[in-house]
Amino acid sequence: MDPKADSWMDGAIRLQLPISEADVRKLKAGDFVLLDGEIVLTAGLPTFERIQDYVAANQPLPIDITGGTLFHLGSYSQEVDGKFEVLYMNPTTSTRFNPFMPDFIRHFGLRMVGGKGGLDQASADAMKEVGCVYLSFLGGGAALHSAAIKAVVQVAWDDLVAHYRLVKLRVEALGPLVVGIDSHGNSSFEQLSRQAEDRMPEILRGLDEARAKTETK
Amino acid sequence: MAITYDIIKSIAAELYGSCLKKIPEDTKDALKRAHEAETNEGARKILALMLRSAITAETTNRHVCSDAGVPVYFVKIGTAARLDGNIKQAISDGFDHLVETIDPPILKHVTNPLTRERGYKGKDMPLVSYDLIDGADYVEISCSPKALGSGRWAALEIFSFPTLDVIEKYVMDCVLKAGSQHCPPVVIGVGIGGTFDHCAKIAKIATLRPYGQSNPEPVVAAMEERLLAAVNKTGFGPMGTGGDTTALAVNVEYAAGHGFTPVAVCFNCWINRRAGARIYNDGRIERFE
Repeated sequence: MDPKADSWMDGAIRLQLPISEADVRKLKAGDFVLLDGEIVLTAGLPTFERIQDYVAANQPLPIDITGGTLFHLGSYSQEVDGKFEVLYMNPTTSTRFNPFMPDFIRHFGLRMVGGKGGLDQASADAMKEVGCVYLSFLGGGAALHSAAIKAVVQVAWDDLVAHYRLVKLRVEALGPLVVGIDSHGNSSFEQLSRQAEDRMPEILRGLDEARAKTETK
Repeated sequence: MAITYDIIKSIAAELYGSCLKKIPEDTKDALKRAHEAETNEGARKILALMLRSAITAETTNRHVCSDAGVPVYFVKIGTAARLDGNIKQAISDGFDHLVETIDPPILKHVTNPLTRERGYKGKDMPLVSYDLIDGADYVEISCSPKALGSGRWAALEIFSFPTLDVIEKYVMDCVLKAGSQHCPPVVIGVGIGGTFDHCAKIAKIATLRPYGQSNPEPVVAAMEERLLAAVNKTGFGPMGTGGDTTALAVNVEYAAGHGFTPVAVCFNCWINRRAGARIYNDGRIERFE
């Protein structure tokens, strides 16, 4: 197989950011998308704690994410001659941020969140209410995701280690990303977990049968 | 000739760098085979994307993943190896050298668990364990950096005289809990027996086994085969797209123990970071993945 010739981008929906609620609501779990425009990202637990403090104090974030995106992506930013450059980015495990996301999605009216591994039901509920989707990024996709970075718009909270900073980037054809949770209450993660749980009695029976065959050989 | 501080330091750095930028050849082949066999269209796209990502990182000298993990090394010293200098320090200095020189630089993932402070250095870092090989005239170093994505799903439970079905059910419970969060298709390492510490170690070492190799004991190989089939029936698929490819291997190692039997389960994500080298007295260096 030649992965270059493969149809990995076939059928991917190209989306311009910022995106309207109506356009977000058109997306369905399982869709492949490519993003153009400005995105905001961070991978830090301390960052989420800080955002929570800002929300509690009704203080504006240094980068406004209202009606925008907040992706769980770690990035390497460094300041060169007074200007930030971002060398690479890649997703981190989103479920680490489960406790924060429902409030953030509602408070900021986020249209897109994402990372890898999905979010829990409370987040999916908030996404349904607000009109927001979860986009699943390829883990181990740093070389591909980073090639989509066209400009560093802003880097905030640089008192934190690089991957904890709040970073705003302009990207072109970022993806393909998979809609893991749509704004209609469908979560691939939830469905797959339920499916695996439902299959487990049969799977365990299969293990018993295979074991019995080995033992009687 | 002897195996010197300088060569060990240089190899320790090189192996780590290789883990970050190049996925093993057998892993690329396994992904290609999975792509051919996969019946779920979304899963096929993701498997193709994985190969594309791996090849892009390798050919453009970039990191495959942004999480460089924490440094983990396994060192086996041949009893006929001639060592010259502080070999233990050389491994630690090798990691420091990597941090200073690698391009692009790596992020700070070494974390003080008590304060959550992050840096490149920390207590007991790098995590190195040592073993001996009787009669060998070389030192063997394996590097396996561990990142959060798959690292956080490892688990261990201690049973009392468990039957095989209890052990296998536990493995499946761990698989269910991890879902698709460990960047599947994964390799799953299972350790059975020994003591708490030994069991965890053999599970981890099991993840480093090349694809296509089964446990030499037929009973254990059969267990690996049925567990792999069972895991792939869960349907999580690559990165949770659904599909047939959740694991590329289940590798089981066991050790005799007491009647309290630990079972350890751990995962290596699809990029399957592992690299090793044998450094001989005569200066030869043999690399393996």
